[in-house]
Amino acid sequence: MTQQSVQPGQASAADPQRPTPRTGGLLLKELTMPIVLAAFATYLLVNMLVMDVPDSVDFPGPRFFPAIVTGVIYLLVILQVIASVRHWSAGNLTVEGEDAAVRFSWSSLLWVVGGFLGFSLLLEFLGWIIAAGLLFWCVAQGFGSKKPIASLITGLTVSSIAYIAFDMALGLSLPSGILGGGF
Amino acid sequence: MDTLSLLADGFAGALTWQNLFWVVLGCLLGTAVGVMPGLGSSMAVALLLPVTFALEPTAAFIMFSGVYFGGLFGDSTMGILMNTPGQASAIASTFEGHKMALSGRAPQALATAAIGAFVGGFIASIVVVFLAPWLADFSSNFGPAEFFALALFAFIATSSVVTDSAVKGLLSLAVGLGIAVVGIDSVTGIPRFTMDSPLLFDGISLVTVTVAILALGEVIYFAVIARFKKEGQLLKSKGRPWLSRKEMREAAPAWARGTAIGLPFGVVPAGGSEIPTFLAYGAERKLDRRRKEPQFGKGAIRGLAAPEAAGNSTTGMAMGALLALGLPISATAAIMLAAFRQYGLQPGPLLFERAPDLVWALLASFFIAMVVLLIINLPFAMVWAKLLLIPRPYLYAGITVFCGLGIYATSGSTFDLLVLLGVGVLGFLMRVHDYPLAPLIIGMVLGPLAETSLRDALISADGNASVLVQGPIVLTLYGLLVVTLLLAIRNKVVSRTKKDV
Repeated sequence: MTQQSVQPGQASAADPQRPTPRTGGLLLKELTMPIVLAAFATYLLVNMLVMDVPDSVDFPGPRFFPAIVTGVIYLLVILQVIASVRHWSAGNLTVEGEDAAVRFSWSSLLWVVGGFLGFSLLLEFLGWIIAAGLLFWCVAQGFGSKKPIASLITGLTVSSIAYIAFDMALGLSLPSGILGGGF
Repeated sequence: MDTLSLLADGFAGALTWQNLFWVVLGCLLGTAVGVMPGLGSSMAVALLLPVTFALEPTAAFIMFSGVYFGGLFGDSTMGILMNTPGQASAIASTFEGHKMALSGRAPQALATAAIGAFVGGFIASIVVVFLAPWLADFSSNFGPAEFFALALFAFIATSSVVTDSAVKGLLSLAVGLGIAVVGIDSVTGIPRFTMDSPLLFDGISLVTVTVAILALGEVIYFAVIARFKKEGQLLKSKGRPWLSRKEMREAAPAWARGTAIGLPFGVVPAGGSEIPTFLAYGAERKLDRRRKEPQFGKGAIRGLAAPEAAGNSTTGMAMGALLALGLPISATAAIMLAAFRQYGLQPGPLLFERAPDLVWALLASFFIAMVVLLIINLPFAMVWAKLLLIPRPYLYAGITVFCGLGIYATSGSTFDLLVLLGVGVLGFLMRVHDYPLAPLIIGMVLGPLAETSLRDALISADGNASVLVQGPIVLTLYGLLVVTLLLAIRNKVVSRTKKDV
């Protein structure tokens, strides 16, 4: 995928009618969603084929409705791909979405998604207060926070307050993790 | 009279100190999230959904109704002051509202919006109180074929009428339906699409998907793309936050017309209050052109009053449709439906019989929420604007932590957090590529209803598909659907030809 590093200021000045380059990367970017959707439909299809349905089940069985959904997804994906390729070869892709010309920050994506992934996997080990504090810090970094120490302190404060309010006061259960021991 | 005594009981139930506290808290939270630029009322409801499970049902729903309406009040505040509507339904009021603020009439604009939202919501709540029991009674005649027609109506209307690209809308819907079929089949008990993992036997939780799509996906989108976009300047609002008698007289007919336009859309599953707000705005503009001194374009008070009233009257009526038919007309209403399910309650005809205390206390709390919201929004709009001082990184980091908190607290499993992240990334991708998000939620909520009623209808008719198009109610619904589609196509053709000129 090609990274779009156009600054917002330039983007608004750029002529929206100017043809977009016909690079493979741009087409791939446009086809991200159809690829994801086709993968989802294929998951449904494969599982439908291996599904074990006894003969005694009346029509319409458990495969009936999912089969319609899967068929519809495949059909619409094909339509969408045709439309995208047509736009691409005509060179007017940016007209489709206003966001295409705006900056796309890969590092922010990594901070937020990576941070949440780490949070999910480590939550039960680290406990709510530390894990959520770190999640807060990661997302703040992803948003371009300039003061890492300050946002870490804020994060730990927020996670502690949340622990007190929701675990101790409202009775939701949050893991105490390595800080736990007693409570 | 029966209705009134039931409503009185409802007020008695809602007006305890404890419930009053929850409704006020809900209103405050809803307004707070609504005020944040870019965060709409549906995000507020999605974020707070998991947390309310710690409360008992009545308290939770009363708080929810505050959040639900509070988000709408907050949306328009920022639309007026910063020209950043939080949600599609606030766009129409931004046109004239922001112009009013630019010409130094910000307090009047805020007051017009708040009173308009109050009028629309209040009248809608009155209509709901009298209409909902009747509607519930009527819909108790519905069989599987009727429910299937209703679900199909909601699917087609939300995915193709409101959206720019019908293909993308329908794809979004199909993903929702696809996610909903994962888990044990309710008719035969056969596990579907689970890869034999017990983690998926219960299916993918609607709460997780809602929070992922509407909150986490939105956070990723803001971090990666939207924060680089230019933002409007916040206009200061100084002066009396009330309208003069002349302004009241000017706005009153627009409030009334807006409310009237909004009401019917509350029961039509066409994506919520976006369409009625634009219709109300358009109607006022047409009327304005016939006057001696047209006001539109210079900050017309009527151009703000009508869409605000329309938006809230649709939202209010939508609750009626949800309670009586179990039919969510917008993403926000779909989340409310998810909340009911979480408590083991199924909105629809039977809810009025099974949980009358809850229903009437909830309806009564609408009125209380409206009054509370008018009080906290009318004089204090500028206080709410202070929330913008929270640094953006902290605000979104806080939202992310809250997403994790809600999902872990309700499910207690790492797996659900991973699903949250996965679906959140999907939501982000959809947002980047201009796929509408509401059809996915609607598909996920109504998918099981559509599937079971379709199969029930077919099984009881021995696989004869003609049973799906029999009966007056079913035929009326399909007729309405065809009319809606034709109108939508006509609108699209008209707007396309206008563009070309």
